[in-house]
Amino acid sequence: MSKEKVAVLMGGRSLEREVSLTSGRRVSDALQERGYKVLALDVTADLVETLRAEKPDCCYIALHGKYGEDGTIQELLEFLGISYTGPGVVASALAWDKSVAKYLFVQGGVPTPSWITLTADAFKEMGAATALDLVPGELGGFPVAVKPSKQGSALGLAKVADAESLPEALLTALSYGEAAVIEKWVEGCELAVSVLDVEDGFQVLPPVEIQAKSGLFDFNAMYTAGETDYFVPARLEPDRAHIAVDLARKVHELLGCRDLSRVDMVMAEDGTVYVLECNTSPGMTETSLLPMAAEAAGLSFQDVVERLVRAALSRRP
Amino acid sequence: MGTARVVFDRWEGRYAERLRDVRSSAVRDLFAAASRPDMISFSGGMPYVDGVPAHTVADAAHDAIVGQGSCALQYGSSEGRPELREFITELMAEIGVRLRANDIIVTAGAQQALDLIAKVFIDPGDVIIAEGPTYVGALQAFSAYQPDVRCIPMDEDGMRMDLLEAELSRIGRRGAKFIYTIPNFQNPGGVTLSAERRRRLLELSHQYDVPVIEDDPYGRLRFEGGHIKPLRALDEEVIYLGTFSKIFAPGLRLGWVTAPRPILSKILLVKQAADLCGSAFAQVVAERYFAGSRWRRTLQGLTRTYGERRDAMLAALEEHFPPEARWTRPEGGFFVWVEFPEFLDTDAMLAEAVEHGVTFVPGTGFFPDGRGRNSMRLAFCYAEPERIDEGIRRLAEVLEDRLELYRAFIAAGAIPGRAEGAA
Repeated sequence: MSKEKVAVLMGGRSLEREVSLTSGRRVSDALQERGYKVLALDVTADLVETLRAEKPDCCYIALHGKYGEDGTIQELLEFLGISYTGPGVVASALAWDKSVAKYLFVQGGVPTPSWITLTADAFKEMGAATALDLVPGELGGFPVAVKPSKQGSALGLAKVADAESLPEALLTALSYGEAAVIEKWVEGCELAVSVLDVEDGFQVLPPVEIQAKSGLFDFNAMYTAGETDYFVPARLEPDRAHIAVDLARKVHELLGCRDLSRVDMVMAEDGTVYVLECNTSPGMTETSLLPMAAEAAGLSFQDVVERLVRAALSRRP
Repeated sequence: MGTARVVFDRWEGRYAERLRDVRSSAVRDLFAAASRPDMISFSGGMPYVDGVPAHTVADAAHDAIVGQGSCALQYGSSEGRPELREFITELMAEIGVRLRANDIIVTAGAQQALDLIAKVFIDPGDVIIAEGPTYVGALQAFSAYQPDVRCIPMDEDGMRMDLLEAELSRIGRRGAKFIYTIPNFQNPGGVTLSAERRRRLLELSHQYDVPVIEDDPYGRLRFEGGHIKPLRALDEEVIYLGTFSKIFAPGLRLGWVTAPRPILSKILLVKQAADLCGSAFAQVVAERYFAGSRWRRTLQGLTRTYGERRDAMLAALEEHFPPEARWTRPEGGFFVWVEFPEFLDTDAMLAEAVEHGVTFVPGTGFFPDGRGRNSMRLAFCYAEPERIDEGIRRLAEVLEDRLELYRAFIAAGAIPGRAEGAA
């Protein structure tokens, strides 16, 4: 009396392959415990062939980064007529491009730190490197954050303290993708607010507060035990917590997300909460933020995963 | 169907602590996907075994079974067969090392010797010294014993002795368990430790009382320049590793180690625990293969082939690679080491290279500590000369795209331009 067959998609060629395999493994275990027939798939060139032969009832997308989070896999699954967990094609593509998402935040009245986006072509074809002296004036001085516009897990992220270090940071960010975002650095408390938006209700999970020991929540801090302290729920005044929760809901809706998302924010010392980005396929590893928040809300990991799968199954064509 | 199926390791959490740092890399996953038939591989250091006459090997194998089956198919001594060890003493004498058969233990390739030596010497946290970059298989063999590996940079004359001395003086006398070096046509660096530096290395080894391990797989594959005496020829305390993989074939898994007697007896103990004894069959085949002098002509032919491929690669690099790249000019062996401006990340380039139909090994794998991201190893031993030219051309295309950006930053004065040109 096994339940539906769920293909858990993970791995792939993205730079976040290892993280995705860890997420996928946990998700698969959880679904198996709940009695689903699980097909754990590492995404390779024969994915389509495998899916067509196996005919799963839905896919759980445990992919992170390029192809998994940018709308590519979502569009493919739409084409194959297989329903899947998480936001759809458009929401994924919008959220994946940090620069585009920030424009939408501004339009929607969501505070986000001021920023500049520069593409590799702007440097190669148009001499953008001669304008870097304008950066501090535009963003109100240093430090600034430099990051690839499209990349997850904070890969290629750098905190730049002065004009001299800016070019190297840009070159690094651009080695991860076609565009780099230079963003005003907001000193303060980092928050991750997860949203669960499935058929039985819309729920913003308790904000998680992140304190990286190095001061920078980069790839290392994210996936190395002991490199970061987390506080769930975040140590916030109730009114600040409300603002963070409202912003998460607003961003989730603004981008047209469904099922789940994780909105990353920073609360400045003056209490203003700024939204940095929105993740449409948040990590599901042992140290990931969404599972942590769910637990604080009294939801087990299995509960979360099963709800997402039920939501995907309800969309079966 | 379903090759993409993921099989989880349900025993995770039960493995020994020492395996924590031993892992297969994402790079290896990429290579697994790089088996397209039109792929040009500069990644593996695979000897050109097609250059070994198959009939001669077949005769040797036939003789081994029909003529000496009672030995070849039986357990043998842990040290290896006396006949083969006798032959190894002749090989060593040719490069200036006088040994007796008792000074030698035959191992399953030099790789086994690396593992045995690590087992004999390394406790968790012990400092060991190696060239940076160094042989990835050595790092792998050592890492299971959890050492703290300190890497000494090289230049065209091999390991920098000033930097080695600085490191040794920092950690003090007997502060490291050993110094691991590949003096000839280093893997991956392609450079050779000069005669003068060999002497200096041995002086430092005595001054700081740290033994030297000399790994010499490529010594006989010199296609230009004069032979330089091995460290072991200058100092009897050097631990020396040799192999038949490059002068015959890696498929036999035959190598050897020679070391001072007390060390050798420890190695023998752990060797017995590891495998009782090596393959007697492989040893008899090798004895047969090396009887007479035909193997010398074969080896000359192989060396000539590698030399031609080296020439093809250097010419292709000169023609296609951008001026920001610098590379080594090996006088033997299998590898060229290429370095780029610091911002260029070769790990991030590999996926694109695979899409273009060419593979290389990103530099970070040859360091224990994440260095080397702006470098790559190119193996010229395996592809034919025309393919080498085509492969380098493909790789240059991938590079050009990245470097255009770098040049735009230099042109704008945003970063300083660096000294350019091939070394």
